[in-house]
Amino acid sequence: MTNNRPLSPHLSIHKKVLTAFFSIFHRLTGIGLSLGTIFIALWISLIALGPNYFYLYEKIAASLLFKFILFFWTLGIFYHLFNGTRYLYWSFGWGMDLKSVYSSGYLVLFFTITSTFIVWFYL
Amino acid sequence: MKNYARKWLIQRITAILLIPLSFWFIYHCLSFASMNYSQLFLFFKSIINSLLFLIMMISMLIHTKLGCETIVEDYVTSKSLKHISTLLINFIVYLSMIIITLAIVRIVLI
Repeated sequence: MTNNRPLSPHLSIHKKVLTAFFSIFHRLTGIGLSLGTIFIALWISLIALGPNYFYLYEKIAASLLFKFILFFWTLGIFYHLFNGTRYLYWSFGWGMDLKSVYSSGYLVLFFTITSTFIVWFYL
Repeated sequence: MKNYARKWLIQRITAILLIPLSFWFIYHCLSFASMNYSQLFLFFKSIINSLLFLIMMISMLIHTKLGCETIVEDYVTSKSLKHISTLLINFIVYLSMIIITLAIVRIVLI
């Protein structure tokens, strides 16, 4: 494997600034959402297999633990979506001055929390 | 194009695709919660829904593969462990792609 890509900042060396937390959370939610993707793959397979198999999902979905995980999945997907949008326009070099980086960061938190609350309590 | 430049670009293309598709899916998840089996089945029986779902899932899996591989490259220092993790990620991603495609084809054709 030819690996000449500059590696990610070494976590234990750098001072923890807000942008670092955003980056770490982007990766953590990314890992969580990856597991979620596998779960969605299993879910659609159970739908394809028929109602006798789908019963298995219905049993899991009825548990409180499932609702708990689903709540954090909602938080995670909204965070990853909104924070990811920032990374997308940063790729074009836009909004990268320190002031914009911080204000868009707070906007990400605001949108993540409001979207999650709207989905769970208002819709 | 160099390998990493290509990966960088694919990660961003799938990200752009995933913004509208994720909102579409989350929106429908709200009604999935109260649907029974046959209503869910009928939802995916629709070509447009199953096609959007398939595009979303394939993009999501490619995005997942690139993201997880990057994390492994950054934080797994042991060369053999890095190799095994990458293999495992690829195995799960490609298996999921096959499973999802077969599931959607079965639902639409039944």
